[in-house]
Amino acid sequence: MINLVSRADELLESKAVQVVIGYEAGSTGKARPAFITDPSKTGSLIFDDRCVQNLAVYLTKKEVRYFGKAAIVATLPIMRSIMMLISEQQVFAENIVVLGVSAEGKYIDIAGIEVMQQYIATCDLGNPAKDQETLAMLNKMSTQQKFDFWQKELSKCIKCYACRQACPMCYCTRCAVECNQPQWIPVQSNLHGNTDWHILRAMHLAGRCISCGECGRACPVNIPCHLLTMHMADQVHNYFNVYAGTTDKMSSVMSTFEPNDKESFIQ
Amino acid sequence: MARIGVFVCHCGENISATVDCHKVAETVGKLKHVAFSTDYKYMCSDPGQTLIKEAIKEHNLTGIVVSACSPRMHEPTFRKAAAEAGLNPFLCEMANLREHCSWVHEKNDMTTDKAIDLVRTLVEKVKINSALQPIKVPVTKTALVIGGGIAGIQSALDIANTGHKVILVERSPSIGGHMSQLSETFPTLDCSQCILTPRMVEVAQHPNITLYTYAEVEGLDGFIGNFTVKIRKKSKSLDEKICTGCGLCTTKCPQKKIPNEFEEGLGFRPAIYVPFPQAVPNKPVIDREHCTYYIKGKCKVCEVVCPTKAIRFDQPDEVIEVQIGAIVIATGFDIKRADFFPEYGFGKYKDVIDGLQFERLASASGPTSGAILRPSDGQVPKNIVFVACAGSRDPAKGIAYCSKICCMYTAKHAMLYKHKVHEGKASIFYMDIRSAGKNYEEFVRRAIEEDYVNYIRGRVSTIYERDGKLIVKGVDTLLGGQPVEIVADMVVLATAGVANHGAEELAQRLHVSYDSHKFFAEAHPKLKPVETNTAGIFLAGACQNPKDIPDSVSQASGAAVKVAALFSQNELTREPLVAFVNRTAPPLYSTCVGCFLCQSVCPYQAIEREDFKTRDGKIIKTVAKINEGLCQGCGTCVALCRSKSIDLHGYTNNQMYTEVMALLNEY
Repeated sequence: MINLVSRADELLESKAVQVVIGYEAGSTGKARPAFITDPSKTGSLIFDDRCVQNLAVYLTKKEVRYFGKAAIVATLPIMRSIMMLISEQQVFAENIVVLGVSAEGKYIDIAGIEVMQQYIATCDLGNPAKDQETLAMLNKMSTQQKFDFWQKELSKCIKCYACRQACPMCYCTRCAVECNQPQWIPVQSNLHGNTDWHILRAMHLAGRCISCGECGRACPVNIPCHLLTMHMADQVHNYFNVYAGTTDKMSSVMSTFEPNDKESFIQ
Repeated sequence: MARIGVFVCHCGENISATVDCHKVAETVGKLKHVAFSTDYKYMCSDPGQTLIKEAIKEHNLTGIVVSACSPRMHEPTFRKAAAEAGLNPFLCEMANLREHCSWVHEKNDMTTDKAIDLVRTLVEKVKINSALQPIKVPVTKTALVIGGGIAGIQSALDIANTGHKVILVERSPSIGGHMSQLSETFPTLDCSQCILTPRMVEVAQHPNITLYTYAEVEGLDGFIGNFTVKIRKKSKSLDEKICTGCGLCTTKCPQKKIPNEFEEGLGFRPAIYVPFPQAVPNKPVIDREHCTYYIKGKCKVCEVVCPTKAIRFDQPDEVIEVQIGAIVIATGFDIKRADFFPEYGFGKYKDVIDGLQFERLASASGPTSGAILRPSDGQVPKNIVFVACAGSRDPAKGIAYCSKICCMYTAKHAMLYKHKVHEGKASIFYMDIRSAGKNYEEFVRRAIEEDYVNYIRGRVSTIYERDGKLIVKGVDTLLGGQPVEIVADMVVLATAGVANHGAEELAQRLHVSYDSHKFFAEAHPKLKPVETNTAGIFLAGACQNPKDIPDSVSQASGAAVKVAALFSQNELTREPLVAFVNRTAPPLYSTCVGCFLCQSVCPYQAIEREDFKTRDGKIIKTVAKINEGLCQGCGTCVALCRSKSIDLHGYTNNQMYTEVMALLNEY
């Protein structure tokens, strides 16, 4: 990761960016997000199998924005998140520098949005293989079996909203669950309200989920809630031939109409 | 503390026949916060309204629910009554006990229970209704008329005569449209040019009309009363102020073999040309596509001969922006031409022509000076066949509609032919004769009875050439489907009227809807035939569907009245039932995060951007903003907004939620 460190160093030294968002080794052997503002500390940047968090979530945080222009270590899901955030006008391309990392963990020079777009175009944008298998298994179930499966899973939900906090696309300053006039989703944790919440979250991410799986990974009670949004991503690709986060000018499938849109799902 | 009044109407027996109105009033009267409840035979009658007004004052009501018919019927009535009693009209709600209950159910307790539920939900809603104020929007009292055919001319003149400014935009070098091409007009056979040209001149001379010919509408922004239109004035390559219209350049232009559009390809014109002698404005333009100078870089004969030195080869297109308040679209129609009728040999045989070409042949100012001559050899045709419904009413061809004007103009063509070629024979193949219109049927009878036009009811299957004659093979369905073969010298196809070229692009630029045939769509087929779905944009003439001159002119005047009515007010008042983006205390300002997904979903382009800035101008946050003039209150953005930052006045999420909860909860 010499390239990554030296590039981060160079960017901070030249004051091209004010903060580098990357990974560093945490105290328990896990990798944790690092926000490096001092060029002398870039040496602590790491990149290995432990670096799984979607760092794009920090780009919209007020505390991170406060630093100024940011460089961000980006794997494919992070790059796709960035594309979505630019499309939805939450991040401005001129305010970020992307330090690309390939699937093999190699540093890739991402000189601009167009380069990033070209890189994304060469990648497989489907859901991760492991999740595809689980989804295929779920899709084989009968409606009742699927319902039972999710009721069992969702009954565990404690409404901590870690899934939301981990998701780079959940950037609203006030989430729909916090709206209490009217109170759409019950505050307390109960099966009914938990189901409401997870359906709402999946719908809000339809056509926007970039299949990073962070929501499921963040869940403290191990609800595979990422399967819901990943299934939506599948559906959107099937019906509209769109993968989220491929360009910086994505139009939302849920708010646009194209004359050649499939309408086979209207029954 | 809310004090709600409930007024249950019997609507004669319309409601009371199946709903126990008295029980409804009694039950609802016991609800919390209901201060007054009564039933009455006709709430909309004068005593009924008085009852409401008195109750509002006497019981100091903070909201009322009139439980009667559909709000489409009487909401304005009761809101006005509420306002007269000093209650904000938007604190009056209507429960539809007629269409939603009494008319669709039988008389029993469940029907009455449903009526109670309908009233209950609205009692809960009206408790949290807000007093709303109507929205005022200023009006720019200048109209834009697009298209300078007879419909556009009529509309422009009518609006101008009411004292308002009009901008008339025409894309060809002269106004006049298809009517200027016509020879004589049915059912009176008066000369088209003679009745049209005085109107054209009137347009040019009217102090309230600004005429832009050779110009096109490029874009439109804004909303009713407040549009900004972008007009591209294509370069005419000459200075119109200096040009005297002497016409010397048009006679000296060496390029003389350009098919003349005005003559429908039956004649030629030079590269610098005036479309026809009576053109308005009567000043030439250079057709840069065919001009030798623009193709080869040299010639400039016109510049040399021009006595006033008006030619400007390097004149650029000019794009102007104008503020207008209303638009009349009068872009007209076109007809189907060659290659659509391979079976009729149209485009292959010179003597198979379309209706507009026949008009030019019959016109005194046409290429043959009014003599009916075959385009192939200039001979007088002795036997002429007219084919009505060429393309029209033919679902197999994709045109299922009737083009409306063909029956009449074909009768006219046959008549004109017989008047000019007395010994000639004219036959018309037709499907039905549609001659509904004042003096229209009499006109057709005249063609048959006085001019001996041979009407054959049946369709033509094929036309081919044999020994210089056109063999027309058809069928006579009145003779039991007997095949008919006519050896003709000339065939005239009454081809289908279709949307003008560029209609679809214009509709998209103006954000108005159009049908599958690219004709502009009216807001309501019966009750709003002149309006489009976009407020402030009206339709006139054949851009909506094929129309004859009287229909086009009447619709044009109709559209003009709509514009004049709009311009009669200084401010437009709109119902305040529009969407709004919420506001919160700093540093949030609004829960809107500015993703602008609402912008792409809004069918009315009503969502704008709004910046919150610090005192020194630094942008803190950009959020969505609803343009109240454009918003139609459809609520699509409300449904789409993930953070629930948009809401709809009068139908807020909270109000809807309360209604649903009222239905679910016991009372």
